[in-house]
Amino acid sequence: MAFLEIDGLKKRFGNVEILKGIDVELEKGGFLVLVGPSGCGKSTLLNTIAGLEQITEGEIRVDGRAINDLHPSKRDIAMVFQSYALYPNMTVAGNIAFGMEMRGVPVAERQKAIDKVAKILQIGHLLQRKPSQLSGGQRQRVAMGRALVRDPKLFLFDEPLSNLDAKLRVDMRIEIKRLHATTGTTIVYVTHDQIEAMTLATKIAVMRDGEVQQFGTPAEIYNNPTNVFVADFMGSPAMNLIPAKIGANGSGLSVVLDREARQPITLSLPGAPAGLAAFKDKAVIFGVRPEALTDPEGAERNGSEIATADCHIEVVEPAGSDTFAVTNLGGKGVVARLRADARIQPGTSTPLAFNLSKAVFFDPATEKRIL
Amino acid sequence: MSAITSPARQASSGVSARTINRIVIYGLLALFALFYLMPLFVMLVTSFKTMDEIQNGNMLALPQSPTIAPWFKAWGETCVGLTCAGIKGYFWNSIKMVVPAVLISTLLGALNGYVLTKWRFRGHTLVFAMMLFACFIPFQSVLLPMATILGSIGRFGVTLRNATGFNFGLGNSTVNLVFVHVVYGLGFTTLFFRNYYEAFPTELVKAAQVDGASFFQIFRRIMLPNSMPIFVVTVIYQFTNIWNDFLFASAYAGTGDVMPMTVALNNVVNTSTGVVEYNVNMAAAMIAALPTLLVYVVAGRYFVRGLMAGAVKG
Repeated sequence: MAFLEIDGLKKRFGNVEILKGIDVELEKGGFLVLVGPSGCGKSTLLNTIAGLEQITEGEIRVDGRAINDLHPSKRDIAMVFQSYALYPNMTVAGNIAFGMEMRGVPVAERQKAIDKVAKILQIGHLLQRKPSQLSGGQRQRVAMGRALVRDPKLFLFDEPLSNLDAKLRVDMRIEIKRLHATTGTTIVYVTHDQIEAMTLATKIAVMRDGEVQQFGTPAEIYNNPTNVFVADFMGSPAMNLIPAKIGANGSGLSVVLDREARQPITLSLPGAPAGLAAFKDKAVIFGVRPEALTDPEGAERNGSEIATADCHIEVVEPAGSDTFAVTNLGGKGVVARLRADARIQPGTSTPLAFNLSKAVFFDPATEKRIL
Repeated sequence: MSAITSPARQASSGVSARTINRIVIYGLLALFALFYLMPLFVMLVTSFKTMDEIQNGNMLALPQSPTIAPWFKAWGETCVGLTCAGIKGYFWNSIKMVVPAVLISTLLGALNGYVLTKWRFRGHTLVFAMMLFACFIPFQSVLLPMATILGSIGRFGVTLRNATGFNFGLGNSTVNLVFVHVVYGLGFTTLFFRNYYEAFPTELVKAAQVDGASFFQIFRRIMLPNSMPIFVVTVIYQFTNIWNDFLFASAYAGTGDVMPMTVALNNVVNTSTGVVEYNVNMAAAMIAALPTLLVYVVAGRYFVRGLMAGAVKG
């Protein structure tokens, strides 16, 4: 039995269904990231776990106990808000202790808890300051301290890093990951940033329009997206989704990619998924991540299904650690990720290696993965 | 050449035009200020003059032999109607009425604003619209219905006294006035606080909920300590309005020892015992105006800041 279980959760505002039946579960000590574009319902889902919003149908259980009808303060959860929500009239110590004060914890015990948390987060020298006297990163720490001090069953983070600048965001991301590793707490984390999702999570739920599109480990989500939306949303630069056609190649199948004013590229598919046979002579969406489309020297030597084809390079973007090359296939710009020192010129034709074992296929009608 | 000189000429004519503009604007402002300050000046100098000087001298002249006797007379001896014990009793009447009325209406307004923004219920906009409507009801239209209600409350007070030996203040004129001013002020105080709390971060309320704070704990520990500017605005507004009110005061507490300051002042001026003592009348009027002046001087800078709050995101 999982530690956090969400069963058929539905949330309606009037006639509008915001959450359309969410089923998610998380083991104890896990890190669940809810990710999706704005308006997908991820924050609403978090608020229902916190008890700040009522649910219409379904059940939320923590440690085997249904909590969906309990008051937020009775759920044994702590929450870190996007704006940090520090009480401006209280000192840092007052902020951290407020929850304990409300629960009638004696002063001496409160002080001990504050000191312990201040040590973990290194905010001891800030305890007597007001929130307005803190920097963004310090506020973030205090907000986490307020959550940590309660030692709850479940931590909820609502886009906690989105108000920080880019560098601090990376630092705090590592800090949260370290905190999770050292304290072993169970965390549900909302973000719209897929990199945060990939780096932090043990489980990711990709959401859109109030539905979980895919639920799994970061590797599953990244390597085996169940539909076009997940494939497109996760990963940066995004997966190339190329309109293509399936052709026959002797006894096997091949994928045919159209090119402007040139012969189409035909790549044979020895390891094609079983479902692809039904799409013979039909259109599909051929998905290949930029790192699976590279220069032949950079391709995995022992990759079983490497196919090479000449491509016309339109744009070259050296990014320091990698070089990105844009070519045109099936009427779309396609990004290839090359080694940093790859010798490549825009306007020339260069062989690119397709790692077909990493390629995925989608049905253009349903946008679902063809397995 | 012309290309060089013309901007210079333009600049110089621009400077002189601006100077003239400034002179006109400041001149007009000074004139209006003078116009508004003149009555205050006359009141102030007259209150320090002897009767001789008032009858024989220039109204605008400074007092030749300044005296504070008129102030003492106004405070302790002047006649209000038939009793000649000064206005001090009425001054305290007003204080006893204004302080509770201001505090109760402000706190209730804050509570209303808190509920209307952070604990929204179905139809909250309708409730707010109706409370706003209360701001536009003229005093006069309330007079008679309110008199009926106060009469009923008074009769209930009598019943209570017969039953328990104590009327809980029901039927008392001061309590009646507090009640009237609280009810009438609620529209305004609710409006002030609702608009302030509308911009108040809701995440703070959610955080407090998760921390286990109750409805009133959130109000007392989170909302109120962070509403100082609007609190001061509301207190000044309510204090000035209730202190200066004459209509309700004269209608519901217009006679005897329960009169508030405004009604008593009117009676001081209207009580004629031979010579009209302008200096005493002026001193009494100044005393009547002092509390509102004091409140504004002490808290005025919050007033402007509070009115501006939310206009520009800080």
